[in-house]
Amino acid sequence: MSDKMIINGVEKKGYTRDDRIAQMKFAQRKPHGNLADPRLRYDYLNREIGTLPPDTEREPFRWVSELAYKNIHRIVTRGWCTTELAEAGYGIVDYLFINWQARIPLEEERDVLDYCMVLGLEDGLSNPALIARLITRGKSYLTQACGGSVLAFGHSFASYDSTGKMILKYVGKVEEGMSLDEAAKLCVQECKKEAHFGISKLYAKDPTPKKLLDYAEKKLASIKKLRYVPFMKALEKAAKAEDSALCVDMIGALSATMLELEFTADGAWVLMGVTRAFAAGAHGLEEMEREGNDVLGQVLTPKEWYDGPADRPVPSLAERKGLAGAQSQEPKEWQANWKKRQELKGTGYSVDFVIEDPKKAAMKQHKKK
Amino acid sequence: MDRKPLIQRKTSISYKTEEKTVLRGYNVSDLAEAGYTFVDALFVLFQGRIPAENEKKMLDYEIACFMEHSMSPSAVSAIGVMNGHPMLPPAVAAAISTFGGAHGPGAAHGYMMKKYLDRAANEGKTIEQVAKENVDEYMDAGLAVMGMGQPQHIDGDPRAHPIHLKHEELGVEGVYRKFQTAVENYFWERRAKEGKSYVGVNVVGAGNTALCDIGFAPYAAWTIGSVARGFSCACHALHQYKRARAWSASRSEPMVQMLDLSMIKYVGPEDREVPPLSERQAYAKKQLESGEWRKWVL
Repeated sequence: MSDKMIINGVEKKGYTRDDRIAQMKFAQRKPHGNLADPRLRYDYLNREIGTLPPDTEREPFRWVSELAYKNIHRIVTRGWCTTELAEAGYGIVDYLFINWQARIPLEEERDVLDYCMVLGLEDGLSNPALIARLITRGKSYLTQACGGSVLAFGHSFASYDSTGKMILKYVGKVEEGMSLDEAAKLCVQECKKEAHFGISKLYAKDPTPKKLLDYAEKKLASIKKLRYVPFMKALEKAAKAEDSALCVDMIGALSATMLELEFTADGAWVLMGVTRAFAAGAHGLEEMEREGNDVLGQVLTPKEWYDGPADRPVPSLAERKGLAGAQSQEPKEWQANWKKRQELKGTGYSVDFVIEDPKKAAMKQHKKK
Repeated sequence: MDRKPLIQRKTSISYKTEEKTVLRGYNVSDLAEAGYTFVDALFVLFQGRIPAENEKKMLDYEIACFMEHSMSPSAVSAIGVMNGHPMLPPAVAAAISTFGGAHGPGAAHGYMMKKYLDRAANEGKTIEQVAKENVDEYMDAGLAVMGMGQPQHIDGDPRAHPIHLKHEELGVEGVYRKFQTAVENYFWERRAKEGKSYVGVNVVGAGNTALCDIGFAPYAAWTIGSVARGFSCACHALHQYKRARAWSASRSEPMVQMLDLSMIKYVGPEDREVPPLSERQAYAKKQLESGEWRKWVL
């Protein structure tokens, strides 16, 4: 069989072979703009029209899931009927283990996750609550306020994924033979300036994170060998050697504990994000009850807060013809222009974006497989 | 009515008094009255300047091409969200949020260009040299070269080459276009040498390149592309809301629906008995120790 795509005896240049194309109609079109340019990869003036016929050689589309299925009379997650689970007495925290880890947790594990979720529920007027309140002020559905609050969880605020992955990296070094204290010291050296470090001065006067680590240790030590909570304690000790005011914070304690419960770093991130969304709903409700709504155009922005270009007349369209474009032709000129554009904020030119070394990214990808 | 700002921030983007709203120094009403368009205003917003006419035409062409892409992750998300009949905005928000590492137009492509152009500027290399290094470094690592390939348009994204031609026709080519062209040429040359099939440039490779040449930072280009797609996704959401049944599972529709029960293929653990709570600890301990569950953890 030829790999060429032949339609009505004529080879279609630039087409990958797919016999379904031959079943389709072709339409001759007028050559608008550049569409008759011979440099185009294929013939834009005579392409097939209509949708590609169904692929009968492969299995038809279905939603593939290892998480859950349902039929007319049963809903099953990870092999267990959800109704039978509820009737047997399992609760929402058990369901989280079942759904995310395909197993029934020990009571001790359930208790520790419950503790984490109580701590993660509310954090005063921090970002998720504020987002929820702002959304509610627009008289949106409350669900939008709750959903919007989850978007606050990034790589700085509530960075469970980054903190979790940091802990996994250095605990991995312990498993490769480095001592716990050495790994903790190395982590301090390499990560102390990161927003997701998990050790800070934020909880210097609030023992809650420390109490969580102690609770997790007390509950879980008898049922498994702990790896992450001891690392976080060692990390705190190593950090304190540099600055005694430093101590484990909520993101550090919760991330270590969630890993101890066998949740992945990504899993912990979104699980805690949804936990907080419940409280965001309450903040949204309070905003409705106590504050009210805004309308478009209502809120002013004082001129004193503005430090952009001074007020200037809009040039006429005729004057615009003399304006220069943004193009640079040589790398040095382009680099100088990039720096100059950083002077104006809100353009994106001052935001750092580090492209990872392709070799390192490749190693990660292989690990994932 | 309380008109005080909700949060206090210094800003160089705009201010708003009872008399006017000023964007980067221009009264927005004056801009509109003078005949400037929404596309012009995007330049004022993200770059603080009035664009040259051809730059405006380039942006207009690019976002028009990019706005609708039928069934891609963004539209499917809007449709999926709308199945539950929430308000429309969450469906649109979900659609815009799909733009990430795989679904373009990623800022990553723009910053990849920056990385290699910086190398050219700092190390005195030519654009062709750093473009070759880019392709080699990604291909040697077994990674996709950003801006190349699209899983549906396997013979080349129908938007991409026309965008390149328009970029050229409008005379707004700069270092980014030179770099992208060098990447494409070497990428095709290397794949051909290795006996690999043709992989065309995608709309990110073509469109993002054009947006960078007309002065948008990669992040700004990402915002513009993603939000432009939001327009069509809003329409997909409306279509789902007004023309289709909620849930997409009805048995009375002539076509099997997206959420018909038969559309589910379950590949998880076999069906099993729920242990009574009295046996829970022993059951859970045995399960924990077996480690079999680990392969299912997400």
